[in-house]
Amino acid sequence: MNGNDRQSDPASPGDSAVLADAEADIGDGEARLDLDQAFDSGTLYALRAAVQAHAIQAGLPENRTDDLVIAVHELAANAVRHGAGAGRLRMWERDGALHCEVSDSGSPASGIQAGPGGNMTERWPFLQGHGLWLVRLVADQISVFSGPGDTRATVVFFLSGQDPSVSAPD
Amino acid sequence: MPVSAYTQVTELSTDAHACLTFGEQEDLLDLTAAFVRDGLASGFRVVVLSDSPQLATAKLGWREIAAETAVAAGQMVMAASQDGLVGPQGFSAEQAMDWLRDQLADSRRQGYAGIRVALDMSWALRPMTGIEELPVLEEEIAGVVSGAGMSVLCGYDRERFDPVTLALIARFHSHAVAAATYYDDPVLRICRQYVPPGIRLAGEMDFLASEALALALGEAIRIDGDITINMANLSFIDASSIRMIMEAAASLDPSRTVVLRCRPAIKARFAQLGADRLPKVSLVGVDER
Repeated sequence: MNGNDRQSDPASPGDSAVLADAEADIGDGEARLDLDQAFDSGTLYALRAAVQAHAIQAGLPENRTDDLVIAVHELAANAVRHGAGAGRLRMWERDGALHCEVSDSGSPASGIQAGPGGNMTERWPFLQGHGLWLVRLVADQISVFSGPGDTRATVVFFLSGQDPSVSAPD
Repeated sequence: MPVSAYTQVTELSTDAHACLTFGEQEDLLDLTAAFVRDGLASGFRVVVLSDSPQLATAKLGWREIAAETAVAAGQMVMAASQDGLVGPQGFSAEQAMDWLRDQLADSRRQGYAGIRVALDMSWALRPMTGIEELPVLEEEIAGVVSGAGMSVLCGYDRERFDPVTLALIARFHSHAVAAATYYDDPVLRICRQYVPPGIRLAGEMDFLASEALALALGEAIRIDGDITINMANLSFIDASSIRMIMEAAASLDPSRTVVLRCRPAIKARFAQLGADRLPKVSLVGVDER
């Protein structure tokens, strides 16, 4: 039930209910939710600091940590400036890669209608300019999901600097 | 204190006793550099007292002040605190004033029309005997500069000196000097840079402070000549801020250039967004501090 889901959201990281939810959400492989943090215009600085700390902890090289921080910042900035004005970041590690999902669950200011056949540019007209271009440049992978009143962008950074699913034997 | 209570360092009179309060070492160096530059340009004797004359010479060097040349020519003196204001037995206002009067007499003897003395007061933070005489020194300096063709700039770190001391010594100064500041909070500081002219960003810069950045860039553009954007103490900058700086650079007359001083990671970010391909822009890397 949605009501129950929302109640479990503010639980502290490490809470088993949150972890169970997260694992169900974030993929089939072995995953660990590292960070789940709400943000708005007043907390972008704290968001960057938290992402940086967790990326370093996960073993991402320094220059790639800088790239991850700016990718998350630009996505979050888009949510603040052109979307709902606030959002949520979830960060987890899976299969040798860091995943950062920025969600903006309010209605975008521009009032776009997501259509099943539309391309990403049509669904996210607010994600333009140098910000998103830079995210695409620095991230190893980026995916965007957009539904009615719910937009989620996920960037993936490989911890070893290359795609583990390609380089791993087997 | 409201900004209007401050005097621009470039507008100090020839017998000013100015109190420079700073929050960052860069402010002290920058405002001292402006004070020194204008003094040298006026043909005055210039004395700079600091904990490390060697370091101060190097730091004035990148601010386009040829301290070594001026010292060799006799127009400039780079003095160490322990050779000037502080003696081996500690501090005494009388001894410090003797040193200052010597500087003035020496300057006059050599025919200089005036003298400028920049004092980095950080030596007074160290525990030493006689330091309670600091206000006496400041009061006596006020008495000497009047009508003497001597101006003295005393640099106090407002984070490290206690407010009571600062309030006490401020009374004996004729002017209060600080960097013109466009934005200042715990995360970000944007202020004017005097030497070389431009602006200085420290901390983390993002779109939330874009109005202040636009104002600072606008004022820098209105001043003639080349512009330096000093980001040596900037650890983060977002795409929209980089874009604003690049647009400001692109709007300049072709004869003017923009120097971007930044750490390697920030430099790489500017290059990613195409700043290294702008003909008027030069990207200069600095070591992390």
